[in-house]
Order: sequence, then C-alpha cells, then structure tokens
Amino acid sequence: MTTTKTAATVRGVRSARDPNLLRLLVMLVFVFVLMTVLRPNQFATIASFNSMMRQFPEYGIMSIGISLAMITGGIDLGVVGTANLSAIVAAKFLIGTVPRGAPPAQVVPYLIIAVLLSLSVGLACGTIAGTLISRFNIPAILATLGTQQLFTGIAIGITNGRPQSGLPLLYSRIGNTEFFRFVPLSFMIFFIVAVSVGIMLSRTRFGTFMYMMGTNPRAARYAGLNNTSIILRTYMISGLLSSVAGLIMMARANSAKADYGAPYTLQCVLIAVLGGIDPNGGFGTIGGVTMAILILQFLSSGLNMFNNISNFYRDVIWGGVLILVLVFNKLLSWREERRAVRKSMN
Amino acid sequence: MKRRLLLVVAIVMIFALAVPLFAQSYNPLNFKSKKPMSQWKIALVPKDATNAWFVRMEVGVKQFAKDTGINAFQKGPPKTDAAMQAQVIEDLIAQGVDAICVVPVDPAALEPVLGLALSKGIVVIDHEGASQQNCLYDIEAFSNEGLGQTIMIELAKMMGEKGVYTTMVGNVTNASHNEWADAGVAYAKAHYPNMTLLAAEPRVEIMDNLDTAYERAKELFKKYPNLKGIFGTSSLSSPGVARAIEELGLKGKAFVTSVGLPNENKVYLKDGTLQSVLLWDPRDAGYAQLAMAVKILKGEKIENGCNLTAPGWTSMQFAPGSTKVLQGKGWITITKDNVDSFGF
Repeated sequence: MTTTKTAATVRGVRSARDPNLLRLLVMLVFVFVLMTVLRPNQFATIASFNSMMRQFPEYGIMSIGISLAMITGGIDLGVVGTANLSAIVAAKFLIGTVPRGAPPAQVVPYLIIAVLLSLSVGLACGTIAGTLISRFNIPAILATLGTQQLFTGIAIGITNGRPQSGLPLLYSRIGNTEFFRFVPLSFMIFFIVAVSVGIMLSRTRFGTFMYMMGTNPRAARYAGLNNTSIILRTYMISGLLSSVAGLIMMARANSAKADYGAPYTLQCVLIAVLGGIDPNGGFGTIGGVTMAILILQFLSSGLNMFNNISNFYRDVIWGGVLILVLVFNKLLSWREERRAVRKSMN
Repeated sequence: MKRRLLLVVAIVMIFALAVPLFAQSYNPLNFKSKKPMSQWKIALVPKDATNAWFVRMEVGVKQFAKDTGINAFQKGPPKTDAAMQAQVIEDLIAQGVDAICVVPVDPAALEPVLGLALSKGIVVIDHEGASQQNCLYDIEAFSNEGLGQTIMIELAKMMGEKGVYTTMVGNVTNASHNEWADAGVAYAKAHYPNMTLLAAEPRVEIMDNLDTAYERAKELFKKYPNLKGIFGTSSLSSPGVARAIEELGLKGKAFVTSVGLPNENKVYLKDGTLQSVLLWDPRDAGYAQLAMAVKILKGEKIENGCNLTAPGWTSMQFAPGSTKVLQGKGWITITKDNVDSFGF
C-alpha cells in the first residue's frame, strides 16, 4: 500500500503548489469578458460557441498528447505526423474497400475497422517513438523530430502528397454529428479524452509514476520504477491520442492529407507550456492544459471577429498574449515564493 | 478508452441519420439576401494572410469595399494550411457573414465546412478551386485556351509574325501548361502562316527550375541558330530564357514570353531583353470574387457574359460543360512601363 500513500502525497503536494490553475482561470475569464464586451453580438452567441467547439478538439487532443510526454520530461513533436499518417491509412482503407453507394448499414463494419486500423497505426507510431527514446536513449526532442519527419514522409509516399478524398459519406456524417444541434461529437471525444487522461494522471499508479519519473528519472529508477516501460507507454498513449485527433481531422476535412494541420505542432507545445506543464518534466495538469486550449480558441475566434485588425498584426497579438501570460505566471510565482520565504522566516 | 470510443461511435450511428447530407445542390437564386445592402458582410478567405500574392488581393478587396460601401474584408489563416483555413471559415460562419469567397488551399478539405455555410444560406464563391462541390460558383481568371492564345499573340508581335519558335513547359506532366502550349500552337497555325514550330524539339521541359530554363535555352539557341522565339508557360521560363538571350548577345534577335511575376522580370523588361510577360492580377481576382458574391446576394441570374467589373473579368463565360465554373480574360500584359505598379 506504500504506492497509494506516495500517490496521495504527491497529489497533495501538487494541488497545494498549483495556483497556476487559478491564474489560468482568471486569464480565461478575462479573455472571455474582453471579447464579449468588444463583440457583444458575435462572441457570446450559441453559434460562436458551437463553432469553437468544432475547432479545438483536433489540436486539443494533440496538446494533451504532447503534455503527457512533457510531464515525463520529454516532448512529442510527432503528433501531427502520427495523426495524418493514421488518418491516411484509415482513409485509404475506406476508399479502397467500401463499395460505392453502399447502404449505411453495410458501411458501418468498414468504419469500425477503419477506426481500429487508425488507432493501431497511432499506437505503432507511439511505440516507435517510445522505443527510440527509452531503449536507445535518444533525446525525445530529436527522436520525435525524426519520427515526425518519418511519419509525414511515409504519408507523402503512400499518397504522392495528394489529398485522400472520396470517403463514404457516412463517415463525415457521423464525425460531424451534433448532439442537441449544439455539442459536436468531436467535442464529446475531446471531453472523454481529457477526463480519462486527467483521471489517469491523478488517480492511477501509472500517472504518479509519470510525475515521479519526470521530476527525477534517476531517483525514480533507484526507487524501483521501470522507466523504460513508463516512457514507452507514455508515447504509446500520445500516439493513440494523435490518431484520435487524426480521425477528427479526417471527419472535418472529409479527407486525409499528409500535411493537414502542420502548424499545429508548435501551437500544441505552446498550449502545453501555457497550461502550466513544466517543460522540464514532473509538473502540470490536464485541467491547466484544457484552460490553455480554451484561452487560445477564444483568442483565435475573437480575433477573427475584428475585420479591421490586419492579418499582419494577428501573430503579434497572439504571441504578445502568450508572452504576457508566461510573464504574469512567473511574476506571481515569484511573489508566492517570497511570501513563503517570509512566512518561514517569521 | 478504445472501448469507450467505440461505444460513442455506436451511439452516434443512431444520431447520424438525422444529419443533413453534405453534397447538396443549391439554386443560387435562393441566396438572394433579404437584408439591405448596407448590412451585408462579405469575407474573402485567402490561402494565407501574409503571402505577397494575397496581400495584393486584399488591395482589391479594400478597393471594392470603398467603391461600393459594402462591408467586405479579407480574413485568412496565418499559414497556408487546409485545416487552419477551415477554422477561419468556421469562425466566419459563426459571425453570420452573408457571403464567403474563398481561394481554397485544398478544395476537398473544405467541402464539409463550405457545405455547412451553404446550408446556413451563406453564399459561397470559389476562386482557383474548380473541383469544389460545395460552392455556388467558381470563378477563374482565364480559360487555358484563352491564355495560350494570348501568349502566342504576344510572341508573334515580338517575332514580327515570322520565324521558328518552340514551346517550353514547366513539366511535361503539367496539364495546364500543356493546354496553354497546345492552344498557342493551334492559334499560330491558323493565324501566322510564316511562323513554324521547331520540329526537332517542339516541347521543351524545364523541370520547374529556373536554372534548367536558362541551360535549356542556351542549348537550344546554339543548336538551332534560326530559332527566334520561345513560347514559355511556367513563370520561370521568361527570366531563365532572358538570361540566356542576354549572355549569348541575342537581345533583339531572339524573344521569349510566358506567365511571369513582375519583380522576377523587372531587370530584363527594363533593359529590353524581354518585351512583355503575362499575368493575372490578384487584385482584380479579389475584386471580381466580391462582385460575384454581390450579384448572388442581389438575386441576379448568372449567365454567359456576366460582368464582374474588374479589368479582364467583364465578360465571364461558363467553362465548356459546366454550370458552375466561370472563366474570364483576366490576364494583363506586363511591360517596362507598368512593371513597377504591382508591388510583388
């Protein structure tokens, strides 16, 4: 039962030391209020929330994947490549096997196989990255830069760089389902992923091991943890999540292509860092990452509502806000440290 | 997790039947706006917000807004990426714009989101996306045949309508380059009896490479001393061949023209190695897309000869066999006199 105790202790320490969540919440509310005040008829509307809920799940799920890798002290730059490769495999399978004009009932088994196929490709991609990092001791940033290149390369190779379109209609109809004409399926998937990963991190032994290893891999090894297996499993989960994101992108685009969403990689890393995941490992929560995703989506959709803000300033605003949040975070944590020091001196 | 996902998929199967189909056909006449013109909002979505080509397109968008007083603006993704372009369109739909003009990064990837726009009664106009299903119209600056003929007319003018010429394509597999060249050769045959196609090498390939264009041209002029003109297609042929003409001292004796970008050809146009290159101006394409959207919002019927009020876009013709794709004569001739006026 020692592990349970450790888990409890680690969790206790974590929540006590995580005012980051509160800050992010303040930031989130601030951006929300700002946009609502500036664009009252456009921002806080059902249509705009519906549209935002359709937009963020694909990169949100990839951000969670990257966050997991970062918690163990690594990084996974291969998420977009994995997503596209697994979507392309599923798309190729569907295009190649489903008879044209088949009735929906007949298409369903193909869809299930395609989904399973794509998830297995995701797992395989994660296994490759995880093996390179854990067994060959290649730094994660280099290993996954390599896998990103490799997966994208394979994807380009098997498609000649062309979009794979002509999927059975049923796929995108399912993929773009909206419950109560408001909540998109992709959002539901994101929700399930975020909650499951959140539970995994905070309530399971494996989650605790990830934090421990991320904090100090050597100490973790001396404490009897199997680092190799933890790393491998982390990247497998990240690969699996990437393939889920790939399936969502495939539904949204009604096609798959080797370079869809290429700029997402950097965006996902930024989200993870903004969400309070420590790039050095061992710290951060899915709650924080989710809030960071929402902040960025609010900003992005909000900025698109200002017709007069030239597209040139968009990156400036985007980057400016990111830096502000990071600095704001740092300042607050310094203040807290000082306060803690003062308290201990009294 | 896999099991949960499957469960979700299974549940969704039931809901799926309630979702409308994507590829529906819409009657453009049903998109007539009930709002007064002053409340219209029209967005143009380029492939990339900061690329020089689309910055030039925005000039046309702003011009249109100024000329008509309609709230028209350009909003694009920060990078040339199909997924990000779809997100911008999502946001525009949520804002309740009346029309979306789009230059698709990848038409296939935009089908669902444009289908959504159409289902909400938003006018969708494509540009350079002839394969797009979910749009009311796709407008193109030119037909391949028309552009090929125009390149030939320009070349014939330079050559004094006589002499030997050959054609140069970016790649022998490039469908549009070959169509331009075929149209040009056919036009020469019919109109310029004193011009002959170099029989030994009627179609030269430059592998989409500037240096290859230069080397191939040098080779050609040495091998065939009576070769007088090169009918170029790719925008790389004019500057490449011009360099060869200059180096071989053939200025005024050998000629080339092709599609070309102003800045790449500026030096040669000014020193007389090149007389003209052809281009379509993204400014006019932007202006024409908005004009098209306005026509639909006004409830006008689109027919052959419709006027999109931008230079070269004044008499649009349906592409053969299509009721969706319209082609203009939107090319412009760039000479030493106007090469500085484009900004790209």
